[in-house]
Amino acid sequence: MTLSDLHALLPQLILALGATGILMVGAWWPSRAPWVLTGVALSFCAAISAGIVLPTVTEVGGMFGVTPYARFFTILWSILTGLTLLLSLRYAKVHRFAGAEYTALVLFAGAGMSLLSAASSLVGLFLGLETFTLVLYILIAFNRGEAIGAEAGLKYLVMGAVATGFLAFGIALIYASSGSFHLPEAMHGLQIDGQMRPLGLLGWAMLLVAIGFKVSLVPFHLWTPDVYQGAPAPVTGLLATGAKGAMFAALIPLFAALGTLTLELNAVLAALAMLSMVGGTLAALPQRNLKRMLAYSSVVHMGYLLLGLMSGGPDGQRAVIFYLIVYGIATLGAFGVITSFAQADGEPQDYETFRGLGYRHPRRCSALSAFLLSLAGIPPLAGFFGKFGIFHAALKSNHHLLALVGILAALVSVSYYLRPIIVLFMQERPAQRLRPGCTHEFAVLTVCFSLVLYLGLYPGPLLELISQILPSP
Amino acid sequence: MTPDVATPFPLLSLLLWLPLGGTLLCLLLRHSSNLCRWISLLTTLTVLVVALGMAVSSIGGSGWLFYEDAAWIEPFGIRYTLGMDGISLLLVLLTALLQVAAILISWRQKQRPALFYALVLVMETGIIGVFLSLDLILFYLFWELMLIPMFFLIGVWGHENRVYAAVKFFFFTLAGSLFLLLAIIWLYLLHGGQTGDYSFALDALRQTVLTPGQEMILYIGFMLAFIVKVPLFPFHTWLPDAHTEAPPAGSVDLAGLLLKTGVYGMIRFAFPLFPAAAQKSLPFLAILALVGIFYAAWIAYVQTDMKRVIAYSSVAHLGFVILGLAAWNQLAWEGSLLLMINHGITTGGLFVMIAMIQDRSGTRELGKLGGLWTVFPNLSAFFLLFCLSSLGLPGLANFAGEILVLLGAFKADPLWGGMAVAGVVFSAAYMLRVVQSALWGESKKLARNDDLAVREWLILVPLAALVVLLGVYPAPVLEFLREPVSLLLETGGMP
Repeated sequence: MTLSDLHALLPQLILALGATGILMVGAWWPSRAPWVLTGVALSFCAAISAGIVLPTVTEVGGMFGVTPYARFFTILWSILTGLTLLLSLRYAKVHRFAGAEYTALVLFAGAGMSLLSAASSLVGLFLGLETFTLVLYILIAFNRGEAIGAEAGLKYLVMGAVATGFLAFGIALIYASSGSFHLPEAMHGLQIDGQMRPLGLLGWAMLLVAIGFKVSLVPFHLWTPDVYQGAPAPVTGLLATGAKGAMFAALIPLFAALGTLTLELNAVLAALAMLSMVGGTLAALPQRNLKRMLAYSSVVHMGYLLLGLMSGGPDGQRAVIFYLIVYGIATLGAFGVITSFAQADGEPQDYETFRGLGYRHPRRCSALSAFLLSLAGIPPLAGFFGKFGIFHAALKSNHHLLALVGILAALVSVSYYLRPIIVLFMQERPAQRLRPGCTHEFAVLTVCFSLVLYLGLYPGPLLELISQILPSP
Repeated sequence: MTPDVATPFPLLSLLLWLPLGGTLLCLLLRHSSNLCRWISLLTTLTVLVVALGMAVSSIGGSGWLFYEDAAWIEPFGIRYTLGMDGISLLLVLLTALLQVAAILISWRQKQRPALFYALVLVMETGIIGVFLSLDLILFYLFWELMLIPMFFLIGVWGHENRVYAAVKFFFFTLAGSLFLLLAIIWLYLLHGGQTGDYSFALDALRQTVLTPGQEMILYIGFMLAFIVKVPLFPFHTWLPDAHTEAPPAGSVDLAGLLLKTGVYGMIRFAFPLFPAAAQKSLPFLAILALVGIFYAAWIAYVQTDMKRVIAYSSVAHLGFVILGLAAWNQLAWEGSLLLMINHGITTGGLFVMIAMIQDRSGTRELGKLGGLWTVFPNLSAFFLLFCLSSLGLPGLANFAGEILVLLGAFKADPLWGGMAVAGVVFSAAYMLRVVQSALWGESKKLARNDDLAVREWLILVPLAALVVLLGVYPAPVLEFLREPVSLLLETGGMP
């Protein structure tokens, strides 16, 4: 590894070394808020360095790309890490989190996500994915005292371990078929008339199972609601946005490289997308718990993203990235509102506790409504152009049936997104006052809310930016 | 072709965004309900004045009276294109007028006034946007923008069954409009694939070459959204619930304005974009319209809630409007559009009056009302006037539109015309029942017995004056309609 390699990996190094430093010094100097704030500063430093430091190489160690695409996602995940930490400031205090450990873990997760998005070989993909998955095992169960948190952590651990097994075995098969981990050479085993094609396809199918677990596609989604419900709200936000988003960011170049080599898998992908859209919708409908509803609805969103991914081409890729961003902002915002309401004895999750709260806490509840409506794809909020892009790409690539299923799912989704809004604003009952919010929580929510509105009214610049950083096929 | 009317000052944008500015002010100053009230009244009045000024300045004009165009979301080829011809001008005027009435009727709004006025003003932006947009995505955005405020207006400030009605309203309209979105995107892709110019501009998309099958599917996608909004039988079931449960301002907006956006969508977008499919669909539209006229009249006759009677009467009147469109000739279309405006004023007036009656008697049930004439002579006189207009008494507003529709329908198919005439008789039956049980008969117990207050006079006098004026002398309105209607009928509208 040369100096220019290190130079190229500067943002990830800031995150990972910063996290290590906090962990080590934190052992001697236990404190909470200063460490969390240091973490916020480090994340934004990483984002800035990814933005302004121009790397001199295009790839590091044959594993991670430092293309504009990779840097774009590094910026994105660094900012996400920073916002998550900022959001956790009061939460960590109320729940007596060990500040240094918590901060370090979140920073490691950020580094892992950015490595995963930058992966240019299957080894890089494995490393990046495992980095943040391992961290999330701990973060999800960070509320040690609570049974529900421990249960969530264990569920994620078991499911994650199974997925890792599939992933490793799939990568091994692909390596056996092609003799390379590097993309796109790893595709060579899939040549239409190649002898190793069956082996390669099996490898890809296993990879798909692992991915299905990680981003929770039906039928691999069963862990999602329990983990969402049990994990601390800021961690759930990180899991729902960054962990899934980074996976999709890694999949975009992967699918672009695959091209038409895996036509056999297309039916499977279509089935996964359709099952996720339909299954997630049906499961979300009866939910009376905000976090569980968001868990199932995220399954639906993953279905949309898969639809965009299958559509392919610059339009599909742009749509997926844009969708990821707007979905991430709204989801982070929604979990941010839950975080800001959290008290020592738990987070308000059941709709019952939200009754009539809209007039007690108008700003946060309006923001929550805006995030939910954005997730439902109602204009003029950002989610509309996200869905618009996906349907545009799907119709352009002749996925008419899937687009129709998607539209119907979007229609039904309104039902479960409206329910919390109805509870908040249309049910009169003097609800007890929940926690007044803190400035830093309001700051994060304001950022999310402004972005949801801005991207809904003027998505042009972001779309142009995404078009410029797309990986070349 | 870029229209030659280039106004140095973006009047259309001013018209469009003024109400939203009022919304922001209301939300900022939400702690003073008195201030919010005045802000919203001034905002709606300013919109009305601007719209009137634009109307006066464009008398005798032709083509696009006002036009604006700017780049907006370039990666998708979405533009900010607004245009106003005679039709949109009249509908914007109607919007501006009814919104003033809506604010005035909710003047004593006690429950969360700031939010209420803010939402009414957002509605205004949405509705005006629908009437002005010439880019399909811009149109769609405003189309959906009408949804959320109305959902909250019904759901928060409505009557007993409000949440159910609000959700039903949201679902029906969203179900229609999502298919509209899919159809818009598909049409855009077809057009882009043919010409390489990816654009959502109405006049560009009109040039798309479509196979009959494609055209029919796309047309159905568009029409589903518009038919639900109009609403045409059998897609009307959301309407009685929404109208009944909505607060007075919401009912006025729903009946007076929202229903019109559906008809407007048909004549501005669905018919011109898919002329061949539209021609094929006309008999079906006429049949649905006729069934709707009779069915709604029949149901209206047995309703006991005054608001429900008026709600069903709206379905019947909009049936006339659609029948006129299906007749597809100049006379009938002018009649349809005139009827639409007159129905907006008449029904808006009726909902305003029902709110006043409910204020005084505490009920909308016909069985519990009676003898209002003896207690409130002024109020009752106005109510009678609006009821008579609604049932199509010659010399009052609705008649002027209905007679033109009927004449046009006779021209297209005497059978349609003949059946529609019978429908007029039906509408007399249920409206007279309302008049009879509310105004005449025994006086019932009342909560208050003061006649009209100054604020109420201020709402009613202009509406009543228009009812009479448009009934006896609709020529100025028809003047505005003549050129756009003939262009829409012949070539699908201005380039």
